[in-house]
Amino acid sequence: MATLPPLFAALSDPTRFAIVERLLSEGELSAGEIHRGTGLSGPSVSRHLKVLSDAGVVRRRAERQSRIYAVRPEAIESVAAWAMSHREFWEASLDRLERAMMREMNRR
Amino acid sequence: MTDLTITRSFPLPPEKVFDFVTRRERLLDWWGPEGMTVRDERLDFSAEGPWHSVIVNADGRRFKVSGRVVEVSPPQAVEFTWGWHDETDARGPESRVRIELRPEGAGTRFVLRHTGLADDESRDNHEQGWTSSLAKLERLAR
Repeated sequence: MATLPPLFAALSDPTRFAIVERLLSEGELSAGEIHRGTGLSGPSVSRHLKVLSDAGVVRRRAERQSRIYAVRPEAIESVAAWAMSHREFWEASLDRLERAMMREMNRR
Repeated sequence: MTDLTITRSFPLPPEKVFDFVTRRERLLDWWGPEGMTVRDERLDFSAEGPWHSVIVNADGRRFKVSGRVVEVSPPQAVEFTWGWHDETDARGPESRVRIELRPEGAGTRFVLRHTGLADDESRDNHEQGWTSSLAKLERLAR
């Protein structure tokens, strides 16, 4: 999970976080479409997209004249794995353990 | 480093609870949060040696954890090491889980200590902002 700190650093900016949210809900977007949603200058949006791309949050592909951006699914998966806290894991498992014991007791 | 302690009271005596937390066919009844499926495992804490489990959530995401069982003292204690694997199967930092059982009336006092956790675990307490952002990202990613 060595790639997580740069990934979080890239997401810690509200503009970039908003860009990633849009990409997640709308799928692929061109640089122009992303720009229209922000109210920022073109170069400023390009800089944000470069940070996201360098951190591995988004990937870029060229299509005719435009650059198309999408979220890398691997990036979200590594965040999801990290976000499952150990307390959540154990509390949820132990709830099930308790139910398994209750079933066992009711059988007798 | 951060430690995590979870205490529960169970109605069965320690001998029975020990079965539930160490024997494979019992573990498979409760291992992993609701909605997750154990896909591939060597899940047996009744003898010392390596163990691992791969659990898969409803979206098909895989979470692999592995370690070694280092102590089995029926019916009082079991201890094993713990390390998550990332998507390239590289094993992350190692932590340690110790489960202790004590008689409590007709039942059992169950104490689980998960020690040596990396500090990012402390976000549970003081980084709620991050946690809710991540939850939001996860929902969107589904």
